[in-house]
Parts: sequence; C-alpha cells; structure tokens
Amino acid sequence: MNLVRTILKYLVSLLALLAALVPVYWMLTISFKREIDQFAVPPKWFFFSPTVEHYADAFLGRSFGQYLVNSLIVAVGSTACALVLGTLAAYSLARFRLPRKLDQKLALWILSTRMMPAIVTAVPLFLIMRDLHLVNTRLSLVIVYTAFNLPFVVWMMRGFFAEVPRDLEEAAMVDGDSRLGAFRRVVLPLVTPGLAATAVFCLIVSWNEFLFALVFTQTDDAMTLPVGIAGRVTQYGIKWGAMSAAAVVAIVPILAFALAVQKYLVRGLSLGAVKG
Amino acid sequence: MSITLANLTKTFGDSIVVNDLSLEIGDGECVVFLGPSGCGKTTTLRMIAGLEQPTAGEIRINDHPVNDVPPQQRDIAMVFQSYALYPHLTVAQNIAYPLRVRKLASAEIQRQVSQTAALLEIEPLLARRPRDLSGGERQRVALARAIVRHPRAFLMDEPLSNLDAKLRLQMRGELKRLQQTLGTTTVYVTHDQAEAMTLGNRVAVMHKGGLQQFDTPLEIYNCPANRFVAEFVGSPGMNFIEGRIELSQRRFVRNGLSLPLSEGLMEQASGRQLGVCTLGIRPENVRISPAQIDDWMPATVYVTELMGSETLVVAELDSERIIARAAGDLRADPNTAIWIDLDLSRAHLFDHGTGRRL
Repeated sequence: MNLVRTILKYLVSLLALLAALVPVYWMLTISFKREIDQFAVPPKWFFFSPTVEHYADAFLGRSFGQYLVNSLIVAVGSTACALVLGTLAAYSLARFRLPRKLDQKLALWILSTRMMPAIVTAVPLFLIMRDLHLVNTRLSLVIVYTAFNLPFVVWMMRGFFAEVPRDLEEAAMVDGDSRLGAFRRVVLPLVTPGLAATAVFCLIVSWNEFLFALVFTQTDDAMTLPVGIAGRVTQYGIKWGAMSAAAVVAIVPILAFALAVQKYLVRGLSLGAVKG
Repeated sequence: MSITLANLTKTFGDSIVVNDLSLEIGDGECVVFLGPSGCGKTTTLRMIAGLEQPTAGEIRINDHPVNDVPPQQRDIAMVFQSYALYPHLTVAQNIAYPLRVRKLASAEIQRQVSQTAALLEIEPLLARRPRDLSGGERQRVALARAIVRHPRAFLMDEPLSNLDAKLRLQMRGELKRLQQTLGTTTVYVTHDQAEAMTLGNRVAVMHKGGLQQFDTPLEIYNCPANRFVAEFVGSPGMNFIEGRIELSQRRFVRNGLSLPLSEGLMEQASGRQLGVCTLGIRPENVRISPAQIDDWMPATVYVTELMGSETLVVAELDSERIIARAAGDLRADPNTAIWIDLDLSRAHLFDHGTGRRL
C-alpha cells in the first residue's frame, strides 16, 4: 500500500515536471537545430547535428542583443523603483495608525488598482506618454511597470513588516537610533527574505510584460525581448530558430537571479530571538 | 538622574490607562512599579522611555520637561519583556549597537563590549546569535546592551517574567547587586510582589491606572494604604474579615465572633462614625493549634498546603476563610477542628466602602 502511494506520488511529480520542462527542452533543441531538422517527421528528440547559426542570426544579424539590454534596463529599473517606493509605503502602513482606520482603507485602495484589467489603461497611458514625449522610450516602460508592481510590493511587504515585532525598533530607538536608522539597521535586514521573493516576482512580471511594451515601443531603441521575439512572426515566414535562440537567452537572467536569491527564498525569518 | 511624573494621564480611545499619576524618583534610586496586568505600569514606563506620548501631565528628567524629547535623545536604556534582541546580529553586535549608533571608534566599542560582557559573564556567547541562546542568556545579553553605554537611567519591563522559577530567583539577586554596584536610577515594572519587595528602594503600587501607595517595601507591607495593597502585597495576601466596630465595648463584632480591639486599633477607629468595616490580618499573625487552647477560637480546617519550611493552613472561622502560616511540621486533616488566635496588635481596619485603611 505504502509502495503504491510512493510510486503514485512520484508519478504525479514526474508528470508535472514533464509538462513544465518539455516545452523548454523543445525550445532549447530548436534553437540548436538546423531548419531542416526542426520539423522532421518523426521529430528528432535527441539526435541532430547541432548548429549555432540561429544564435548568430538572432544576436548578430538581428537586434536581439539590443532587446536584451532594453529588457534588462526596464526590468531592473522598474523593480528597483517599485521596491524602494513600495517598501517605504508598506512600512508606514504596517506601523502607523491613522484615524478612522484610514490606513486600512488606504491599503485596500492600493490593492484595488490591481483589480482593473491592464488593457483599460493602455490608451489613456499612451496619450499621457505621448504628451510627455516618452513614447518609444525605455523610461515609459519603467514608469508603467513600477506603477503595476507597486501595489503588489506594498501588500507583500506589509505582511512581512507586520511580522517584525515592534519591540525591536523601539529597542533600537531607545538605544539611540533614529526611526529611519532603526528601519535600515534592524527592520530591513529582517525582511530580506520577503524582499527577495518580492523582487523575483516583480522582475518576472516586468521581464515578461508584452502588452504595454507592444503599445509603447516601435523601434529597436526601446523594444523589449517579448515584443522583439514576437516580431519575428511575419507575413513572409516565422523564424523559429532565431525566436527560440532569443527565448533561451531570455530565460537566463531570471533563472540566474532566482538561483542567487534562493537561500533567502527558502530561509525563514530567524524567529525565536524575541520570546524566551 | 531624577525622574518626576506630574499628573501623568494616558488614554487610549475611551479607556483611561494611567490616571493622574504623580511621583518623584530620586537620583540613583530603584523604584518598582507593582500591579496586576492592565494597571498601567508598563504604559507609564513606556511614557518615561518616550515610546508613548502622555495625554496629559508632564514628565521631567532632572527637572527638565521631556514630553517632546524623542526616545533616542533621552539617554535612557530599556530592557524589554521580550528582550528585543536583534535576531540578525551576533551577541557582540547586539551589545555594540547603542555604541555603533553613537559612532564610537571601533576599538573603543570593542573594549566596552568586552568589559560589559565580562561583568555579566557572557564572554563565551559573544559570537553566537540570539536564537542559539537560552532564556537566561538572552536576559543577560539584553542587560549588557542596556548597561554598555552607561545610560542615565534603566527602565526594565518585567525582565524576569520569561524565565523559569529557579533562574528568576538567581537573576533577581544579580539584578539587585548590579543596580547597587552601578548606582544608576532604575525604574522596574513587575506584577510579582516578591520582586518588588526585594529590588525596590521604594515601591509604587498601581491599580486600574491609579497610584495606590508609594513607599518603602517594609512600609507597604506593614502599613498598606488600602485593601487592594494589603491583598496584593504579600504571599499569600492579607486575610479580611467583614464585621462591625462596637466603640463602647471596644470590640470588633461579627455573627459568632467578638474580638477585643487593641489600643492602636481603637485609636484608628475612634472619632469615626462606623458601622460596617473590614478587619485585615496577615497570615503570619494568625496562630494556629491542632489542640484546644483556652481563649482561642475554634475553626474548621478547609485545606492545608505543605511548603516544606512552613505549612499554610486555610481554616473556616465563622464562615470566613482565613489563611495562617504555621510551622512546617504541622499536620491537619480537612474538616477537623482547629484553634485559632489572631494577633490583633498587628491587625488593620479598612473602611468597608472605600477600602482605605483607617
């Protein structure tokens, strides 16, 4: 009985893993296959003569290198902005009480901005960006992605701050530190795991965002990877090889960051320091 | 450093937590705020620390009003009930924190940290983190962090309440010694009357936000200002017997009881229009005998509690339960007869309505 359960458990895990990884594997192989092998029947799963011509095509022949740089700037920039603003807002909401429960209403109002379908804002935002002469700039995307990530950061971080005992900052202040110093030296180090998790999420959202990037950018100067990759589907043909090569490279930064902060994601808050 | 509280009041919404509290704490004195939970003692301490803003009244440090001075500028150290050690820092970094904030040179910080660690005998712990420490060790680290910067005063919020009974006794003695060695003004909050008696030069007993009595431990024990103080201080607390004073007969009377009043109690009672009042007597002033003695009053044993060094006997005297402290070898079974004598020269009379001592 136990054996059957164990087998079943692993079988389900295996299925989930296959569903997640087979497409990635297929994309990876396509990026290294010659065009003639890409659509071979029966499909060539493992054995084909590898080539790097698609990578050369994507990053030397076409502008994927530029898209990659744009994506990095936009994703990192908007994540950094959202984290700084959102963390400060979340700390205030977690610590200070406003009369008539205004702090709670404010928090809910911030969250409610996420309930609106993004496409509703596309046209008004485009008009605003046009008047500000920001269309087809990376800055426009940084601003929009910051705005979209902000409510998420506020809500995530508010929860993490609420878990930090008030005694700790009060102790720091009695010890002679200012409130901001207590925040920086005591509170912030304790919420680092939460900060890392929130940052990964923001990065992924900004990295993958398609709609606004499509609406706001027209040329290689500002275009991000998702739009750039989709742009290879043209009326004359679909560049599967170059698209796959670009997509493979697009996975790398997020994967690297997630691995780098993995220990923070896994490690829980170091509790037990307060109660005896 | 002297601390003065003048008509201090704190309200949260509709509830009055501290009500018109006035007292003065002298330089180098150790004052204990004693009271049950919710009596406002911790709130008072937090107001002195600057973590809570008074609703009304004034706090003065060395005769300077400090109501608007933020906590970091009051130069007061506080030991929290939870210890509030910084979990991400080592013990050494925890102790160094107040010095680092003051931007001392790192060599000087190092010197003071090791000096303080030596004083509290925690040198072997310096490299560890708070989560790897036992309760008693955390307590010591919290103390070290408080004394390392030689503050003008210590505030302690039930610092021993998270320790087990044996460790609490040990730390209580060490705290007292430390306070006497350093001679720093200390305000100590506790609900444990034994801690208050042993640690305080003076004890402020609080109840429902109000100051009940502010005096030396002995005075509070021997001359409680009211029924609440009498009951709260002492373990077990004072016995109370409801009855009437018959001034003409110089006796305290109740259904089946009639006790002669001593000169002292007569003086207390005289000149007052008395109907009902309450007689209070401490357990150690109640004598008890399993064998019949003339002039002693018969009672029934309700329960006996062995303590080793002594035996607490709860007896029913005229349907009123009285606790007596008896010798450790006394044995008495429940529902058997026992004889009681009250040492009325050590008794007190309380007003029935206000609870105030006459």
